[in-house]
Amino acid sequence: MAFFKLFNNNPYFKYILGSIIFVIIVFIDLQLGLFASRTVNLLIRVVYFSVVAIGFNILLGYAGQISLGHAAFMGFGAYLTAFISNNYGLGFLPTIILSGLIPMVFGVILGLVALRLERLYLAIATLGIGVTIEFVFREWVWFTNGFSGVRLSRPEIFGFAFNNSRHFLLLSTIILFIVILFTYNLINSKTGRALSAMRDSGHAAQAMGISLFKYKLIAFALSAFYVGIAGSLYAYAERYVHPSTWGAELSLDMLAMVVIGGLASIGGSVTGAGFLVFVPRLVQDLPLIGEITNINFILTGLAMILVIRFMPIGIYNWFDYKFIQPFYIKRLNLNKPGGDD
Amino acid sequence: MHWQIFLQNVFGGIETGSLYALAALGVVLIYRVSDVTNFAQGEMAMFSTFVTYTIWVYSANAGFPYPYIAAFIGALIFSAIFGFLIERIFIRPTSDSSLLGKMIVTLGLILMVNGSAGAIFGTDSHYMQRAITGHIRFGNMIIRPHSFFVIGLAIVIMLVLFYMIKFTMFGVAIRATAQNDKVAKLMGVPTKKVTAFTWIMATMMGAIAGLMIAPATNVYTGMMADIHLKSFIAAVLGGFTSFVGPVIGGLMIGILDNLVGYYISTNWQTVIVYGFLIIILIFKPYGLFGEIPKKKV
Repeated sequence: MAFFKLFNNNPYFKYILGSIIFVIIVFIDLQLGLFASRTVNLLIRVVYFSVVAIGFNILLGYAGQISLGHAAFMGFGAYLTAFISNNYGLGFLPTIILSGLIPMVFGVILGLVALRLERLYLAIATLGIGVTIEFVFREWVWFTNGFSGVRLSRPEIFGFAFNNSRHFLLLSTIILFIVILFTYNLINSKTGRALSAMRDSGHAAQAMGISLFKYKLIAFALSAFYVGIAGSLYAYAERYVHPSTWGAELSLDMLAMVVIGGLASIGGSVTGAGFLVFVPRLVQDLPLIGEITNINFILTGLAMILVIRFMPIGIYNWFDYKFIQPFYIKRLNLNKPGGDD
Repeated sequence: MHWQIFLQNVFGGIETGSLYALAALGVVLIYRVSDVTNFAQGEMAMFSTFVTYTIWVYSANAGFPYPYIAAFIGALIFSAIFGFLIERIFIRPTSDSSLLGKMIVTLGLILMVNGSAGAIFGTDSHYMQRAITGHIRFGNMIIRPHSFFVIGLAIVIMLVLFYMIKFTMFGVAIRATAQNDKVAKLMGVPTKKVTAFTWIMATMMGAIAGLMIAPATNVYTGMMADIHLKSFIAAVLGGFTSFVGPVIGGLMIGILDNLVGYYISTNWQTVIVYGFLIIILIFKPYGLFGEIPKKKV
């Protein structure tokens, strides 16, 4: 009883407990090698896509602004990481932070565009900007090495090289949980409430003294920062950055993660990232269906449409309302659903 | 001769521009009538073009005397059915979700249609014949009769469409639904039928644009990505609220694209053209001919 009460009353507890359990699992795996190395690589993908999805969710779920060009920021982060670590040899932490901060500046510029445009106009303009930046990656050989791509080595902290994928999984998991705690605090702060108010009604938010100018820029800057950091993790994880990765498909995948997992929810973002990484892999192993080429595209598209049609709040939130919260209510005799997210 | 090269570029721009305009009109038509921004227009056109290509190959192999005409008619029939099915299965059930939800459905359709095309037709690139083969020389200018065919066809389709929207009873129904679908319904306009029909028309227009562009791009799953984005930008540039705007926007983009590609740089062509268009959008967010919507609190 006391345990459940703790769970329900202290909002941090859920996240900290989850973090600790995850890090412990990854740590045990490091010692015993529980997962196959293929699974470890997939888990790393889940981790960096989770960071992407959380960043994109701040923009789409919390602030209600759409962007179909965020793949460009992820690419920018990845290229920056490769460029900085190859040419200047900065350490892991300065590199990853710079790879978030510089896209953030460009995020502010995109935010300035978003001040003038709305809904589908914004979607089309950001799609155009994304494609433009993708072309820049192809042609700006000095920075990106064009179609040859850039290679880089695994990161090093205080002389410890993360050469093993399992070590890197542990490192990126820790970064993901720093990101999650930061986001949790952010969305429950004044800024987070201002973003939600802006999403629900721009006019009403303005009437309450919320500056749309300021918060639109904040939403775009923050999401670009997160996505840039995820790009940096991508670069370190894959150790190879190629210009054809950062097209509109990746932007659509980001949207799919957030929609499938659940808009305006951290758990939903992680669920969505896991869905997009694991489900196509699992289906590929099935007989008959798995042999269809491009089954991952078909499945992702279908899942997006089905979620919008049947559970617009997303898989995670649906599961939460349907099973987790009634469980609390029964245990604690609460009248209304507790918890948060 | 410089002016001949210039003219040839402009002419080529008008040819591709009229196809952008055709695709853009389909998008605008759907948007006006059902409030859905059909991001999958390009992919649906790609799918129709694959079907057309398959009909063309089969009928040519079977010894049919006019395989291209068979393919063209096949394209129209298939795209009509395709548009109807997409509207019925995916769009109508989600018609009461939010604007964002409707947008996401068509974005999901991009992935589904593209994936299915890869699964059914493979990921190879195929050659497709021009409507009229051969070319004519005017001095240094080389002009293909196919270009005249494309431009002529686009003009005919647009004239028919404008006539229909302006002067027929069905056009009145379309405009009524576009303006206010609830009131239109109360006035006895069969809005569901109107919506289904606009989807059919838009898909057919997309299929024709795809078929006409196929000789230049080849038939493959990514053939419409660039054209689709340009047609979308054409629609935004012209304004989603007007039917003439997208046509002018499409022609502008076609001509600008060719001129930048020839006179400035082929490598940076896309970047320059998109950059320029995005700058225009920032200063004229609702397009050159669009109305600025009045927002209600």
